[in-house]
Amino acid sequence: MIHFDEMACLLYLEGQLDPQRAKELETHVEECPTCSNLLHALQTETTHLSAALTEDNEPIPARIIGERTRRLPVWIWSLAFGAFAAFSYWVWVDGLSPFFDPLSNAGFGGTDLFTMIVFNGAFWEGWGDMMDAMQIGALILVAVVAIVWIRRRLRRPVAVAVVMSALLLAVALPQRASAADVRRGRSIIIPAGEVIHNDLVAAGPSVRIDGTVDGDVIAFTRNLTVTGHVTGDVIGFAGVTLIDGTVDGNVRVISRNIMLQGEIGKNLSTISNSLDLSSKANVGGGAIALAADGDLDGKIQHDFLGLIGRGDIEGLIGGEAWIRGGSLTVESTGEIRGPATFEGPQQPDVESGAKLASPFRTEITQDIRRNRRTAARSVVRGLFGYVAAVAVGIFLLLVFPGFFRAALREADSIGLPIGVGALALITGAFLLLIGMLLLFIGVGAGVAGALAYAPILYVAQVFVGAWLGNKIMGAAPADSSAALNAWITRLAVGLLILRILSFIPVLGSFVWLAVLLWGTGAVLLGFYKMSRLESMPVPV
Amino acid sequence: MNPADESVLQEKIALAKAGNTEAWGELYRNYAPAIFRFCRRTMPTREDAEDATMDIFVKVRQKLSQYDATRSFSAWLYTVAANHCWDLLRRRKLRQDLETGEVENMPLEHPDPGQLEQLIQQRTSQEIRRAMDQLPSRSRMALVLRYYSDMSYDDIAATLGVRRTFVGVVLLRARHQLREILEGKAGANLATGGAA
Repeated sequence: MIHFDEMACLLYLEGQLDPQRAKELETHVEECPTCSNLLHALQTETTHLSAALTEDNEPIPARIIGERTRRLPVWIWSLAFGAFAAFSYWVWVDGLSPFFDPLSNAGFGGTDLFTMIVFNGAFWEGWGDMMDAMQIGALILVAVVAIVWIRRRLRRPVAVAVVMSALLLAVALPQRASAADVRRGRSIIIPAGEVIHNDLVAAGPSVRIDGTVDGDVIAFTRNLTVTGHVTGDVIGFAGVTLIDGTVDGNVRVISRNIMLQGEIGKNLSTISNSLDLSSKANVGGGAIALAADGDLDGKIQHDFLGLIGRGDIEGLIGGEAWIRGGSLTVESTGEIRGPATFEGPQQPDVESGAKLASPFRTEITQDIRRNRRTAARSVVRGLFGYVAAVAVGIFLLLVFPGFFRAALREADSIGLPIGVGALALITGAFLLLIGMLLLFIGVGAGVAGALAYAPILYVAQVFVGAWLGNKIMGAAPADSSAALNAWITRLAVGLLILRILSFIPVLGSFVWLAVLLWGTGAVLLGFYKMSRLESMPVPV
Repeated sequence: MNPADESVLQEKIALAKAGNTEAWGELYRNYAPAIFRFCRRTMPTREDAEDATMDIFVKVRQKLSQYDATRSFSAWLYTVAANHCWDLLRRRKLRQDLETGEVENMPLEHPDPGQLEQLIQQRTSQEIRRAMDQLPSRSRMALVLRYYSDMSYDDIAATLGVRRTFVGVVLLRARHQLREILEGKAGANLATGGAA
């Protein structure tokens, strides 16, 4: 007897055999136990295969069904937040507060967190010591990225691109540094007569360049002194900076005190507590300075842009001058060859003999100290702020309900959004500042980038408020259109409680700090989730 | 699916096509678990399956206007999913593109029906799934398309890029490879089959 082969049996079972052959097979099977058994065995195999494949054997990931992902235990986030709070306090006491008061005179020290952390933080002496911690952090980051990369292997192209970029960046950074002459030590001195034909990266308590560096100098130090010759740029993060030699390129320095007595070929950008441009100093290009105290006795050949608490001009500004600050004096020897603008609480003091291309255009700003708000005014102001925040919340609820829910759901995790918010605010602001300082992105783009934070910071309170309202009054119904009033009530109650808390001295500041970090993190995570889900409505 | 359910489904699809996010959300919620399981069966890791599921629904949303209402929605969905996963595997060089001639010429040992039945019945679903993970991509994909997604031979042929007449050969070959793994004698044949 000629049997049907396995292929024919399978095709028969799958309904793929042509009718005539199927008929033949059926007839044959009735008489042939071998083929009948094979058919039965194949059918059993099909059944088992289907069952194994369709069996619901593992849970659907939360990410797919839109539920909240599993969270780390609350205590980890609490611990992380506690550590962050302690760190902030330490930075504040040891690093920031000594510079806080003089800077507020310049009109930008004030009480806003952005200025406090970013601008004042730049003067912190401990940055040099932080480098070690940063390096260890970078190493851990690279290790984590590598582990994730290996574990997930070649996942999506975008993920691969991101991971590869991170690895390349991490690898490229030390390579670039090693291409330069890297020196570390307690006291780094390039003696007179020595020539380094390379970029110099120096880190240590004291860096002194008496010789010649034929390249850029990047220094992380307490004391940076340049009496020799640098053919490239000088980029410094220092406690005290003295430039008495010649720099052919740009000088970009964040330092507590800066003294310039030499020749700078190109531009000057500084952030400092005090800036002293001595009469011997000559800046070939323009200058941007941010300082509590600025004495400009030397020459700046092009424009000058300054945020200076107390300014004194005895030298030359070759181009336009725009200065904002507490007070400004132009001494009899001072000269400004371009248009001059001053923004401050009083008219600038221009001594006779001073040469100005045109009179100062002055804009009088209100002196914060003389214009203390009364309690009544602050209540009215708080009330307006409250109404505005509720209005913004309602607007978001009506116009972007998907985003509102996504951000609110993220706010519910508490720890994660606070961590993300802190990270985004501090690192983002720091990167912007560095970018502006080194003019990678330019001042305009930097300011625009910083302003992009503003709406996020503002709506942060809305989500924390809504979360609080939900906690107090119970979760609002999922369908926002049917229960809009319930949502608005919860929003209003939550925001009201936040406003009242903010009136409590000391505690109020901490409340706002937490709201800022928490809400910002929720907004950013909400954006992320929304973009990830491509605006799919997420089940509530 | 009964006609009433079908008309409800078509209504939802029409609404989703018109941009109704609620309708789209409902479609997503109804089908995402099945598509995730499909991806889980075809992709090497759980993370890959998650990513693929998200990407498939992004694609489905973009292509929804191309969906022909005379066809089964789930079949269309599985076709999009299969094409996406198969394309991912190709890009990651995890799938082997054997000529159909090679598949046809591979010698297949004729099974003993009694042993086959015993073999398959002794194994749990979990063991079968584990064995499937060891299959070459194309064999695994063929089995999933047929026995999980219930796709037609025409759709399987279009997805895998083989002639329709070879779909049966690919499936039978895959079953043989699976049996070899379950018997614990997978080796030479799988290697020549280009195991992933």
